[in-house]
Amino acid sequence: MSVVTEEEVYKAISTVIDPEVGFNLVEMGLIYDVMVLKNGHVSVKMTLSTRGCPLHQMMIQWVQEAVVRETESDFCAVEIVWEPAWNVSMADDSVKEALSKTGIGGS
Amino acid sequence: MNSISRDFAPPFALIAPYFMVGTIFYFVSIAALFFLDSTPIHSDMSTIAWVHLYLLGFVMMIIFGAMAQLVPVVIEVGHAAVDFFYIIWPMLAIGTILMVAGFTLTTSLLPFGGMVVLVSMVIFAADLFWTLRKGEHKSIVVSVMGTSNIFLLLGIVSGFIMALAFGGLIGIDPHQWLKAHVFAVFGGYVILTIMGLSMVLLPMFGLSHGFNDKPMQWAYKLMILGVSSVMVGSLFNLMFLEWFGIGATFVALSSYFYQIYLIAKTRARKENDVWVKSLIFAFFTLLLSMLFTIVYLFGGSEAWLMSAGWFLIAGFTGFLITSHLYKIIPFLVWFERYAPLVGKQKVPMLHEMVPKRQADAQMIFSASGVSLVGVALLVQNDALFYGGVSALLVGAVYLLYSVYTMMQYGKEVL
Repeated sequence: MSVVTEEEVYKAISTVIDPEVGFNLVEMGLIYDVMVLKNGHVSVKMTLSTRGCPLHQMMIQWVQEAVVRETESDFCAVEIVWEPAWNVSMADDSVKEALSKTGIGGS
Repeated sequence: MNSISRDFAPPFALIAPYFMVGTIFYFVSIAALFFLDSTPIHSDMSTIAWVHLYLLGFVMMIIFGAMAQLVPVVIEVGHAAVDFFYIIWPMLAIGTILMVAGFTLTTSLLPFGGMVVLVSMVIFAADLFWTLRKGEHKSIVVSVMGTSNIFLLLGIVSGFIMALAFGGLIGIDPHQWLKAHVFAVFGGYVILTIMGLSMVLLPMFGLSHGFNDKPMQWAYKLMILGVSSVMVGSLFNLMFLEWFGIGATFVALSSYFYQIYLIAKTRARKENDVWVKSLIFAFFTLLLSMLFTIVYLFGGSEAWLMSAGWFLIAGFTGFLITSHLYKIIPFLVWFERYAPLVGKQKVPMLHEMVPKRQADAQMIFSASGVSLVGVALLVQNDALFYGGVSALLVGAVYLLYSVYTMMQYGKEVL
């Protein structure tokens, strides 16, 4: 059985982009925990930027598909949690900087 | 920790007509302003016809479409009867046309139009109540949805009674019911719904977090108190109750305004796109409307009331809705056409689906038009009024173009 590392899982999830803000889920700080089990299965604990997000089910599916596609693991379970609630301080500095730009005239 | 994993996204084909038809009604209602002038009387049939064309055809149509999408994600359970939404919009459209014809051509059509609108809204309310019963998640937004729906039913029933009276079928004075009807539908349903949806949509798109929601809780309770008091006071000629209700409504709106300030203050996403700019104008016109109403209540002429009403429905409500069309429609289209392609091919970001120049042009022309018409109603100047309506019409054309373009985006990928 091949070994999957947590780094590989994070790298796989970083291919999933939130289409509203344009950042990947890892740099947004939405991934709370990653566990690789002995049988090679992956378990991801994550949140969403808002509880009323209409994309939440798609996000789960995209994370599962990304992990299976980008790593040697053949199974990924995703749990969405709301505690602790996400806030922008959990995001990477590059995301914070990009979000803080006001933009001029852009829609 | 609690987790969710349920499928409750309604199909695009079900929701899309609400936004397209609602936008067409917006265009028609703006064009219809050329049949009015700068000195309307609030009880004139032509004024009432325009208000119904705008509020039922545009405002209610878009709110119902947005609710079809948002109710499941807010309540965290699928619609009880999602297929109801296939018949709500055609009935609402037909009922609106019949009612407008009733007000402008022959009042005998009013009971028929009123009945069709009544049935469409009862169907909408039935789905929402049924869905609320299925849901376990409780929040201030869920409470607002339930309460506003009760006001919708009260408002539409009072409106139907008025329609029967206008049509000569029952012998009551419809003007005595006017204030109760207006407060129930507009204050109790439209404004309360906007308040509730603000608590979901503004933090979601602005990435606001950690704000206190106490002002919204106060606004919610005071709005119920205010609208109920005005309804009972006006129906039973209890002036003190009416004044109390109007006061409570003002405090509710002020509290809501403060809530919006708190959400804006904690906004992580600082980009000033068309959504933000439209929202700033919307809340500015809400303030203007409140100020003008105070002037009217303390002895100002009816022109102050008409201008206040204009800024409330065309400025605040209109811009709050159009601003969100640039967020909701791209999402719906993206969800339908691009979500299945994620991970398989490059997909666009939502903001790339908005025709930016046309959206900005819509915002500028519409804001100019709303401002000019508002001033024209105040100073009673027809030239200013029609100039403002012309600007609004150009804005409406840009809106139609933008909505159509967003709806068509990526159609070739299917």
